[in-house]
Amino acid sequence: MAGLKRPGGELSSRPLHFIWMVDCSGSMFGEKIGTVNHAIQDTIPEMLDAANNNPYAQLLVRTLRFSDGASWVTTTPTKIEEFAWSDLEADGVTNLGAALNLLSAQLTIPPMSDRALPPVIVLLSDGQPTDDYKTELSKLLSLPWGKKAVRIAIAIGGDADKEVLAEFTGNKELVLEAKNREMLVKMIKWASTAASMVSSPASQSVDRESTAVTDSDTPLMVDLDTLPSLGADDADVW
Amino acid sequence: MFDSIFTEGDALVSDMGNRYEIIRKLGEGGQGTVYEVEDSNGEKHALKWYFKKFATDKQKNIVENLVRLGAPNSTFLWPEDIIYGEDNDSVFRFSVGAFGYVMPLRPPNYRGIIDLMKRRAEPSFKNLCKAAFSLTKGYERLHEMGLAYGDISFGNLFFDPNSGEVLICDNDNASYSNEEMSVYGTPRFMAPEIVIGKARASRNTDLFSLSVLLFNIFMLSHPLEGEQEVKIKCMDIPAMNRIYGHNPVFIFDPKNSTNRPVTGVHDNALIYWELYPARLRELFTKAFTIGLKEPQRRVTEKEWKTALANMAFGITPCSCGAENFYDMQAVQSGKVLTCWNSQCRKQLTTPSVFTCGKNQAVLQKGAILYSHHINNDYDIDTVVGTVVQNPNNPNLWGIRNDSKTNWTYIKADGTQIPVAPGKSAMIVKGAKLNFGLDIGTFI
Repeated sequence: MAGLKRPGGELSSRPLHFIWMVDCSGSMFGEKIGTVNHAIQDTIPEMLDAANNNPYAQLLVRTLRFSDGASWVTTTPTKIEEFAWSDLEADGVTNLGAALNLLSAQLTIPPMSDRALPPVIVLLSDGQPTDDYKTELSKLLSLPWGKKAVRIAIAIGGDADKEVLAEFTGNKELVLEAKNREMLVKMIKWASTAASMVSSPASQSVDRESTAVTDSDTPLMVDLDTLPSLGADDADVW
Repeated sequence: MFDSIFTEGDALVSDMGNRYEIIRKLGEGGQGTVYEVEDSNGEKHALKWYFKKFATDKQKNIVENLVRLGAPNSTFLWPEDIIYGEDNDSVFRFSVGAFGYVMPLRPPNYRGIIDLMKRRAEPSFKNLCKAAFSLTKGYERLHEMGLAYGDISFGNLFFDPNSGEVLICDNDNASYSNEEMSVYGTPRFMAPEIVIGKARASRNTDLFSLSVLLFNIFMLSHPLEGEQEVKIKCMDIPAMNRIYGHNPVFIFDPKNSTNRPVTGVHDNALIYWELYPARLRELFTKAFTIGLKEPQRRVTEKEWKTALANMAFGITPCSCGAENFYDMQAVQSGKVLTCWNSQCRKQLTTPSVFTCGKNQAVLQKGAILYSHHINNDYDIDTVVGTVVQNPNNPNLWGIRNDSKTNWTYIKADGTQIPVAPGKSAMIVKGAKLNFGLDIGTFI
């Protein structure tokens, strides 16, 4: 007698929106954008692996580029299984405000669902905004999903405006400084794992630190739970 | 770079003088990198090499002690040898203090619990019960040795869907006391008192995590995720702390209906709750009502094992192919058992059941009785009896004594007949079998 499969479906999960937000201004031309394109593409199989091992999240990925204006490279939230990286070209100025404006529109309910995991937004930039980003940033942070999003920034090279990036992340520790190519690759790799850390936190070590570990043998680690802005106050439950 | 400490062909010498060669990198965890290695006899093992941050003296002491103790039983992928960086300095430029440990390699037929949660592994109910029984027995062994595991969750356990056998890994956190414990546990599995910062991982918090794991395995849902979870838009750390720590409410709490499963979200919880025997529901209820607040009164491994063994050996197949659970409590209260398959819903014929003390087994063709059924020793490997057909009259069924001791068959009228090993006793309602230590009954 052939056994009948046990009833029911998978463990219930929530969508997790992951957004790569990439500065494509002229100063990114050459090695920087080339490294970003390659490094992010490289993270896709690992993100897929991590998603396959994460019963709590449906990982949806998108790319937002900004230079002269901003645009969604991936127009709809795309399942990691179907996500492919489109190489970005660098040219023009740094309209961060325009990008934040597009982001806000997408983090409003609808189109955002009212039941999800915190979105993860990774901003990569090497310069200073050339438009009015402040108004757009405060608009984003006034949205519940904007406020709840785990916002990570990677400052590429010495000219990146780290103050601006810290305004975006809301926390200096989430501004990672990529001083060279190798660090940039490592930080992109770390940022790509944020989706798992947010939705399926691993075993919590007793001796944990909130600062990034930079030992040569250890993967970059920032313990998201220990960061004050992501603190555990019940009043923050939304 | 961190992902290339060792490369294929690198040779390492362990503390015990064994030589291992790196075959390939298997993966990277939170604390270190795992490699497949081969010893000089050509046997494969796994090597976990700690990241510098985690290669602490405390961790080293824990692992050294675990190697000394040896594996509690065969369900553990236990540390069996240590490799110290400095012993291999001539080959590698290790920093002082770097180390790793060698453990058995997980065979490929073992799958993770996440495969079960994502429905990529589909064991039968019987094997699911056996896996649950074995993993509970495994953690119990650790507790018997005075250790606490500290991190029972999806990630450190594997099972064979075709046999129900389990393997417990990541034993390098197991510690004697909560001061030594290097982990708090994994969110969603941590006991509420840890989540709210009032306690560290211990044997009693292990019991809570075990009950969450068992609930997930059987119900494909979380015991504390109901209406309260649905009302939360953003499932982040503060939200998790509320649900699993500050205000945990069992979704089937008989006295508190504020957190019931929600149709469309927690369908699995609704599908499975009534499908299992009443005893499992009682234990889950205890685990997530009393057990939420009173760490000393949590469901013990023995309570789980008794219930799980009764489930594994209480499966009544329906003609539609569905495995149904015999529910003695339901039958005794006059309830009619029906098939759970919504396409079938047939009334199940009451099977012959053997019961001895707290233990029971449904007696269908080919059913086997194990030592546990007559000795209450949780040994479900040693066969003591088999259900057989009378060769002269196929309508008559009996239990053949496969044990090494004589049994006494007590007929309903009180007549006693010896049942020597190899002989069979007829299965008749009301008849009893005296095993010496205990008396079993056919019902």
